[in-house]
Amino acid sequence: MLLLLVGVSLIVFALFALMPGDYYSSNRQLTPARLAELRELRGLDQPVMVRYLTWLGNAVQGDFGFSLVYNRPVTEVIAPLIWNSFLVAFASFVLTWIIASVTGVLAATKQYSWFDRFVTVMLFASLSIPSFFLGLLLIKFFAVDLQWLPAGSMLDTASTSTGIARVLEIARHMVLPVAILTFLGAGSLTRYFRSGMLEQLRADFVRTARAKGLSERAVVFSHALRNALLPAITLLAFELPALFSGAIITEQIFNWPGIGRIQLESVQTRDYDVVMTITIFLAVLTIVGSFLADVLYAIADPRVRLVNRSRTS
Amino acid sequence: MRTVRRGVALASVAVASTLLLGSCAATAEETAATGESADLSQLQDDFYEATDPSASPAAANERTDSFVSTISSAGGVFLPGFYDNGWDGNAVAPIFASLVVTDDAGEPTGDLAEDWEVSDDGLTYTFHLREGLVFSDGSPLTADDVAFTLTLLNDPSYEGSVDFTKVVIVGTDDYKNADADSISGINVIDDQTIEIATEKVNPNALTLLGGQVLPEEYYGADYVKGDLDYLRDLYSKPIGAGPYAFEEYVEGQEIRYTANENYYDGEPAIGTLIFKILSSDSTLQNFQNGDIDQGGFGSDPDTLEELQGLGFASVRARVIPDLGQIWVNNDNETLAATEMRQALYYGLDRQQIVDAKYKGLGQVADVYAAPTQWSYTNEGVTQYPYDPEKAEELLDGLGWEVGSDGIREKDGEKLTISYITTTQDDPVIPVASATYSDIGIDFVPEVLDGNTAFARFYDHDYDLAGFRTDGLVDPDDAVNEFASEDPHINVTGYENAEVAKLVDEGISTFDQDERQEIYAELYRALSEDPPTILLDYRKSLSGWNARIQGGENFTTGGGDSSLALAKLSIADG
Repeated sequence: MLLLLVGVSLIVFALFALMPGDYYSSNRQLTPARLAELRELRGLDQPVMVRYLTWLGNAVQGDFGFSLVYNRPVTEVIAPLIWNSFLVAFASFVLTWIIASVTGVLAATKQYSWFDRFVTVMLFASLSIPSFFLGLLLIKFFAVDLQWLPAGSMLDTASTSTGIARVLEIARHMVLPVAILTFLGAGSLTRYFRSGMLEQLRADFVRTARAKGLSERAVVFSHALRNALLPAITLLAFELPALFSGAIITEQIFNWPGIGRIQLESVQTRDYDVVMTITIFLAVLTIVGSFLADVLYAIADPRVRLVNRSRTS
Repeated sequence: MRTVRRGVALASVAVASTLLLGSCAATAEETAATGESADLSQLQDDFYEATDPSASPAAANERTDSFVSTISSAGGVFLPGFYDNGWDGNAVAPIFASLVVTDDAGEPTGDLAEDWEVSDDGLTYTFHLREGLVFSDGSPLTADDVAFTLTLLNDPSYEGSVDFTKVVIVGTDDYKNADADSISGINVIDDQTIEIATEKVNPNALTLLGGQVLPEEYYGADYVKGDLDYLRDLYSKPIGAGPYAFEEYVEGQEIRYTANENYYDGEPAIGTLIFKILSSDSTLQNFQNGDIDQGGFGSDPDTLEELQGLGFASVRARVIPDLGQIWVNNDNETLAATEMRQALYYGLDRQQIVDAKYKGLGQVADVYAAPTQWSYTNEGVTQYPYDPEKAEELLDGLGWEVGSDGIREKDGEKLTISYITTTQDDPVIPVASATYSDIGIDFVPEVLDGNTAFARFYDHDYDLAGFRTDGLVDPDDAVNEFASEDPHINVTGYENAEVAKLVDEGISTFDQDERQEIYAELYRALSEDPPTILLDYRKSLSGWNARIQGGENFTTGGGDSSLALAKLSIADG
């Protein structure tokens, strides 16, 4: 696991270092003498390997470096942003999974009904409509025309609320971004549940269960559903990095102070420390996520446990 | 099944016909837009009054004592000279007053300085501060604070972007590289007077030396030469002498300020100032809702119409002091000849590019100065209207013969010219591709990301490169690169002895009338042997809620924005 992390960090660092230009390239005000001075001060004139090892040495000690753009320690810059992104991502994650599992399973059990067709249409809408378009449309409709919801940001202008009032205010501001993210995410997940469920419903053991005389409800929810949900566990575990990586476009439209924008910005401006920190953070989460997936799968699926046991014995 | 199929068929016919009609409408709109073009000989600001101020939304009217403007993002480093994010510059403008500020024309106005003198040899500057100046925390502002600020910016470990290398205060070298414990060229004569000696004659020195003033007591208490790390703790707690004092930064959301009761020009009428952090896409909605009072709306006439439709918006279409240009690599053999560069000028339909980009809110540029600057004049300047025949004549004259594939060749080499840009929808690409291929040039556009594009630009690895200049303050800003022998500064590789002489003359004197004559001649010389292809000037829309009085003088980022902010007030009722 550690080796994987080091490997990822090395590749990312090398790729960024190979890109032409560095943080100061686009600053046309600086004279060449000043540019050389600055590059020396920040250590940008050293060879790539030296810079990487310096970074690695610092990271291991917990010093994730300094943002060139924000002129502050990286951890200070991204900590509040990660939390903000997490809020929105978590809320939409919960909603997406609830909606997707319910509609997917119901659509599968009632295949070809009007409900199923309706779900399929909405599903494709969710997959096709671009987020920025939907976002701007909803802002115009709900915020400008109806004035029911705020047009963006996390708080009202000049807000000084604290405690419960503040929580409610943030919740009000969260409605639109969470709605968009849920709508866009629910599409593919619904399809996944639906097709998984359909597959299980065609399986032999379901035929047996029906032949045994079990009620349809018992067949679907006690037997087929459990098997259909198994592959979803893997998906669940991989949601972990997604919760922290921020939705770049949605955050931009709603001015939500999240980590999405800073990721893009740091690549464009060659703010190495920020890029490396975020990348390593997401890599750690992905690795933890996949490990969790393995563990959960073993718990949920007895077949995996039996195979392991028979192998070791 | 049959009914379903018929239904689907009908639906697809309906969809297809709407698409057809939609595209017809789009082309009709396009032709109307390209017909517009500004044909003023000098681009001016336009003002549009609000037609119905009572339509102002309730959310805005409830704010009886605050003004809300916008910035795109904030870095959180609220210390002049130490931030790298340009928006932090806008954020600190209300907090820190300067000795001297400049307006869009480049004319200096005294802010903290009542008066100033420049010695006859142009090297010594004397500033006279106003009486009784105090910072927002009540501590007095004297010449010592000015001396401290300048010393700090020339500290050996200063790594910010304020650059004194073109001005050079006497004694800087000793301070940076030797044991001197102060800069000898900075002389505090008394509390109100400071004298600074420089080594290079440069009219820009006035604003550079007269920049924002930091309080020594607050920022200099722990100052030791060579160690500026302690300042990091103070980035988020700024104190200055500007019209507004910093109150709070709600991370990623807004920056709040309160009126400075100690401001030398009297406490500002509006008690609270807020800069809300918004991306440019949502500025209009926030303005419509009344969440913000003022914002920048880009250069789209459709937005102007929408703003006017609101009724409560006053709009200023402001001429921006910058230039759009296509830099030409003169070192490239193909592009070295003056006639070639003239051919590229004549062969490009610049009017079409400007119309596509700004739809009437821009104008073709012919002079190396923005229309707002005092040196701007197009008297006697050679203009280059779109004339493909003339371009072809020039190319024939250089020996480029049209080959069998329509591309010109000479000595077995094809006339292929590449173009670097950083924007995907750069209108130069379609227009130049069309007009240049008409005259036999193989035009190859490349869209690169910002830092890559600049890296190649400064390595001289390009043929043509399309960028904008930074904001122009002094007339020298737009032209000094053409006279330099340093390849990092002169990225075009342009060489012209007459131009070089005129550029040097331009900054060797402080007399504005004299300089005006020199620059008029310079602009003529540059138009005869053009180093680059000038493209456009542009206007940007600034809109504000009509209940804000004085809103026409304020734009975030303007050099004199703090002075304008101090004068804003809210109309009653």
